[in-house]
Amino acid sequence: MASFILRKAEPKDVSDILRLIKELAKFEEMEEQVILTEKDLLEDGFGDHPFYHCLVAEVPKEQQSPEGYTVIGFAMYYFTYDPWIGKLLYLEDFYVMQDYRGLGIGSQILKVLSETAVRTRCSSMHFIVAENNTKSIEFYKRRGAADLSFEEGWRLFAIDKEDLLKMTSK
Amino acid sequence: MDFSIRAANVEDCKDIARMITELAEYEKVTDQVKITQRDLEQDGFSKNPFFHGIIAEVPEQHKSKEGDGKTPTRYSTRQMQVFGCETAVASDKKWLYLCFLGKGIGKALMSKVAQLGLAAGCHQLNFTVLDWNKSSVDFYLHQGCTDVTTDMGYHYMSCKGEAMEHLAQP
Repeated sequence: MASFILRKAEPKDVSDILRLIKELAKFEEMEEQVILTEKDLLEDGFGDHPFYHCLVAEVPKEQQSPEGYTVIGFAMYYFTYDPWIGKLLYLEDFYVMQDYRGLGIGSQILKVLSETAVRTRCSSMHFIVAENNTKSIEFYKRRGAADLSFEEGWRLFAIDKEDLLKMTSK
Repeated sequence: MDFSIRAANVEDCKDIARMITELAEYEKVTDQVKITQRDLEQDGFSKNPFFHGIIAEVPEQHKSKEGDGKTPTRYSTRQMQVFGCETAVASDKKWLYLCFLGKGIGKALMSKVAQLGLAAGCHQLNFTVLDWNKSSVDFYLHQGCTDVTTDMGYHYMSCKGEAMEHLAQP
């Protein structure tokens, strides 16, 4: 049984965080869309005004991956706001490397995030999941999560930089 | 019609709370609104604000029937949360009194949000819309937005109240 620790990410972790972000994006078949760099992660997460927070899961050296990695999972989150209920914790990315799944790491990460949400008086934790990711959906629903798209008809919309620029020039 | 767009200040919280309630009535979810004027004042205008707001304002002669006649009545609010991970600007909820639709105010508000996001180095604006809200859906699609839920199958999930507290238990 693997032993692991969960800890707050530090500046030295940005290389591992980016690696895991790309691994998750590859799993979602969208690796080429990751334009973020280590420098971005450093500036945006560890400056005067952090735009995100990160938890990392680390195993001891004896259990490192074949490539020599000991940071084998992460969760990236930030605080946002809902006009009806106030502070929310938004879970942006959540990933554990394949060989380290089924060991309770994901559940423990979610538990720590929930504790953080309760401690900071957030009313809810929000996140998005791809509908074909049935394993993840079941994982979340078992823990009481609601699918707002399905139940209430909320659709996620996005507008990218090109169209944002067009909007500002009109 | 003359209108101006400006950053919200703490004195606007009464109007913002009023408009949040009105928008919730339109979306048929008034019972879900827990936020108060005091929450908005504390969460939006302290040292580390959880949200930013911009306001559209019309001059005295165009005020709504509910205006008190002493000050120009505010008619619209938009909240913007600046995210760090995908460096996205997200905004939630927009409300215009029915008599002020079609005057370009909604478009001007959205353009201002886009400007603020681009200035902060954001690459994308994300937000959610109810699927039955056809006039809003059409407005956003016309501005160049994409429906990520329909196109890519992403579902918006939420873990709140008892479910979140249960997750946080040891």
